Parts: sequence; structure tokens; C-alpha cells
Amino acid sequence: MSQQSRLKQLKLEELLQRDVWDVDEDRHIEVLNQEGLPIKALIILCPMGCYSMAGDKLLMSYEGCVECGTCRVLSSPDKIRWSYPRSGRGIQYRYT
Amino acid sequence: MRVLIAMVRDRFDIVIVGAGPAGCTAAYLLAKAGFSVLLVDRGRGAGSKLLWGGKAYAQPLRDIWPELDREAPIHRWVSRDRFSFVWGDRVLTLEYKLGRKVAFTVYLPELVSWMARKAESVGATFIDEVVIDEIIVRDGVVYGVRSGNDIIRANVVVDAEGINRMLLEKLGLASKPNPYSLSLGVKEVLSLDSKLIEERFNLDKGEGLAWLVAGDITKGIPGGGFIYTMRDSISIGLVLSIGHAADMAEKGLLKEHVSSLVESFRLHPYFRVYWREADIIEYGGRMAIEGGLSYMPKKLYTNGLLVVGDAAGLLVNTGYTIRGVDTAVTSARLAAETIVEAHNKGGFTEDNLRAYEEKIKRSYIYKELVEHRGIEDVFRDQFFFTKFPALATRIGAKLFESDYEEPSMLRALLDSAREEDISILRIIYKLGRVARKL
Ligand SMILES: Cc1cc2nc3c(=O)[nH]c(=O)nc-3n(C[C@H](O)[C@H](O)[C@H](O)COP(=O)(O)OP(=O)(O)OC[C@H]3O[C@@H](n4cnc5c(N)ncnc54)[C@H](O)[C@@H]3O)c2cc1C
Ligand code: SF4
Repeated sequence: MSQQSRLKQLKLEELLQRDVWDVDEDRHIEVLNQEGLPIKALIILCPMGCYSMAGDKLLMSYEGCVECGTCRVLSSPDKIRWSYPRSGRGIQYRYT
Repeated sequence: MRVLIAMVRDRFDIVIVGAGPAGCTAAYLLAKAGFSVLLVDRGRGAGSKLLWGGKAYAQPLRDIWPELDREAPIHRWVSRDRFSFVWGDRVLTLEYKLGRKVAFTVYLPELVSWMARKAESVGATFIDEVVIDEIIVRDGVVYGVRSGNDIIRANVVVDAEGINRMLLEKLGLASKPNPYSLSLGVKEVLSLDSKLIEERFNLDKGEGLAWLVAGDITKGIPGGGFIYTMRDSISIGLVLSIGHAADMAEKGLLKEHVSSLVESFRLHPYFRVYWREADIIEYGGRMAIEGGLSYMPKKLYTNGLLVVGDAAGLLVNTGYTIRGVDTAVTSARLAAETIVEAHNKGGFTEDNLRAYEEKIKRSYIYKELVEHRGIEDVFRDQFFFTKFPALATRIGAKLFESDYEEPSMLRALLDSAREEDISILRIIYKLGRVARKL
């Protein structure tokens, strides 16, 4: 990569390519009821961009989740079911 | 699950949930004291989920492992601490040169793996890839832990689950997390040759720099930025108040995704010269406690249970340093001491474990927490993360960016205050308030 391209703002998709996951077959986070959820906040604050809108529907793709808990803090168990991936699955930080 | 729990054995003196700095310390000390100890973590290996900033205070760790300086996977000893105010392209920076080995930079997963190996070397059993679903209590006494259908019995459970207190909440010992007590840390690791790091930051070989940044890099969200030099990489990131950021997003005052704020920080003209040829090798996020006493549960003990580290809300955030690792380690040391004493007194009853909370209250952690209580409010105060950096950098501009006339310091201050529409009395009052909290 040239210096020029290093000094370019990267999109979230490009940042996600830097990470390694062992994705669980079972989804560990699920939107149960989007009514009353702070949707804009979830979309902007989930650091991995797991939340997005498809029309009026809030989508959650658990594959890129780093299990930080932010969306849990911004919701309640009746709206978002939140648990950890099993068997060591999920994000595998290599540095940090 | 690599090892079925039942294959190990179904009863331990002590089960510790979470192999972070707190859990590993408790496991080490309790195994060394002769108890049978099981340390469990949900990650693959210890620390695989632990993204953090980068700087650990050494002495509280040396209290437990005198061999720390020699053996731990330390990246650099911090010899320079910097603090900057940023407003647009203007930056005002202060630097302090340290005289001794107070703190070091390290990848937290590496440090925690070292601690877990220490615990294993004195006889603790460490099992990874296991999520504990519940701390079981029967007739008011802790009975053990459950993972799926497996139950492991224990005389004492040490809850070291960290900031995301699923288990404590289930027990009713912690309430639902308040987004205003928590921050989101978003971070990038930038790979850079160690020689270049030393040249750019004026460091001798093996020396490191810790740098905190306040100002409009957070786009008005209470919080700040950090930069730590590692061996051959640099960690940069932002820590943002979740409650406030969420409010701003909902009101349409924040439209950019948090990753784009971090990218703007990386590309800020003042900072990017340090790492212009660096590649981003990792990106991620994790929550941090904002500081003060607001995240502490009402009780840190019950019959057969002690709560340590982040789960106990024991993180000191003064605005110029974040100390969560050494405080986690110290709380675990105090918990281990209490368990040994309770054992000698004949049992792990609430009465015998109460001493833990008293030990915490006498320790430096609590003194720091009380001393800096309210610092979160100060840093959340619009004045400090918006007005003050704007003012400081404007004064800088007046003093150093003049083409002809050089104003006096006082003139620069008065004019800047007027232009930023801040009264001098308010500045004095606000500074007095911070000085009392710091
Ligand atoms: C962005 C950021 C920057 C930071 N920077 C610094 C810094 O520079 N210096 C500093 O001192 N501190 C810093 N901290 C704080 C520090 O990382 C924490 O305070 C510290 O890690 C707390 O240690 P702990 O052992 O209590 O909990 P954690 O380190 O959170 O460990 C908890 C462990 O428990 C495991 N676990 C949780 N639930 C379960 C379960 N149900 N079953 C099995 N395992 C479970 C987790 O996988 C984890 O390994 C920072 C934090 C963040 C987020
Ligand atoms: S836990 Fe964190 S990373 Fe995972 S979906 Fe929620 S906010 Fe995103």
C-alpha cells in the first residue's frame, strides 16, 4: 500500500477486514422487538456496524460482533436477546 | 468446549469466573495458598476478548509478581506522558518526562496470558472456551456455577466477569447498566517499525509514550482520545460516553459512525505524521467504566461470593489516566487475602467475607475513587471537552500564530475568552472545580 492510500479514510468494511472471527453457527444476539429501541444510536454506536436498516426493519448481523455489550446497554432483554458466543467463538483479538 | 468440565472434576474450593487481570490474580494467589482453584473464561485462551488502551501501572503488579519487570511481556516502559487539547487543526500539547519505571505498555491479551500461566504454574486449573451462564445460589449460599447443563460446585465463587455483568445482574447484585456510567472504546492498532517509533516520539530503545487527547476529535461527545506506543505498533482510539453519544445520535446531532471518528483522529494533520506509513492491523471496541463510584454494586460479597475488578466497578479514571488493570489486580489480591482469612476463621460466610469490602475501602483504589468522584461530571461538562480546548488552542494561536504583533499572555487570554464568549470568572470557577477533583 502506498503512503497516499494509507492517508485515506477507510470505510468500516475495510476496517473489519483487519479482524479475525470464528463465527458461531448460532446467533448470539437477536432483535426481538425493535419498537422503542434507539435505532439511530445502535446503528452509529455499534463499533462493528452490526445494526442496519432494511426499509423499516432493523437488521442485526451478528457475524462481525466483538461482544462489547454496547447494544445491550442501550436496550432491554425483551427487545434484544443478548448472550455470548459459545465455545470460544466470536472475535479473536490478535494484538490490542 | 475443548475440555468437558465434568472430565476435569466437579468440585473445587474456589471457582473464578473470568480470566482477565482480576481473575488471573485471584487464581494465582489462591492456588498458591493451597486451595483447589478453577479459572474459567469464555474466550479462546486468556485475554482473547480484551481490547484496551495500553498502559499498565507496574507497582501493584510487582506486589504480586516481583519478577514482573524481568518476565512479563512488557512492550515499553513509559518515559513520556503527553496531554493535548485539540480544536480543529490547532493543538496545544504538554509533555512530562518520567524519571523511573512507573508504568509500561503491553497488549492486554499477552499480559493476561502471562498471568494465567503464572496461575497454572502454582496449580490452578484454567479452562477456556466455557461461558458460565449462572452463579448458583441455594438457600442463600453460593453453590457453584453452571455452564449449559454442567454444574461445578465451589465453596467460594469469585466473580471477575468484567464490565458486562450478566451474572451479577442475574443474581440481583447489580442493576441494569446505566449508559451514562459507561463509555465505548473504539480502537485501531497501527503497525510501525520500532526504530521509527523511537525516532518520531523521541524515545530511547524500549521507552514508550502515553498520550491522552481532549477536544473536538470526539465531535462533542464527552470523552477523549488515547495514543500508546507499543513495541512495533501504535494503539490509537477514542473513549466515548455511551449515554451521551446515544442521545446525540437520536437527536440527529451525531450522524457519523464511530469508526469514522477514529479514522478522522488517525488522519488528523497534527497526529498522522507520527504514523503516516503505518498499516491498520486491528480494529475493534470494548466498553470501559467512566470512573467514580457510580458503577460499584451495593455489595461486593455475599455468602460464598466475592466480586472483583471491573465487575466491582473499581476503575480509576482521572481524565489524565485510566487505571483498570492495576486496580483489578489489587482488588483480587484483597479478595484472596479475605478468602484465606475466612478459611482460617472457619468458613466463607457473609460475615467472614465482609472484611473484603473494608479492605477495599482502606486501599488506594477506593481513596482514588472517592478523591476523583465527580470527575466524570467534570469531563462530561460541555465546558471541558468543548469550550476549554477551544479556548486553550485559541490562546495558542494568538501567542504563536501572529504575523506582526505579539500580544501579552494576559491579552491573549482576555481576547480569546471574549471571542469564545466565555467569562473569565467562569474559567476560574471551572478550573477550581477540576483542580479539586483531579
Ligand atoms: C478502550 C479501553 C481502554 C482502556 N485502557 C486502559 C489502560 O490504558 N490502562 C488500564 O489500566 N486500564 C485500561 N482499561 C480498563 C481495563 O482494561 C479494565 O479495567 C480491566 O481489563 C478489568 O479487568 P477485569 O479482570 O476486572 O475484567 P476483564 O478484563 O474485563 O476480564 C473479564 C473476563 O471475564 C470473561 N468473562 C466474562 N463473562 C464471562 C462468563 N459468563 N463466563 C466466562 N467468562 C466470562 C471475559 O471473557 C474476560 O476475559 C481500558 C478499557 C477499555 C475498554
Ligand atoms: S455487542 Fe457491541 S459489537 Fe456486538 S452488536 Fe452489540 S454493539 Fe455491536
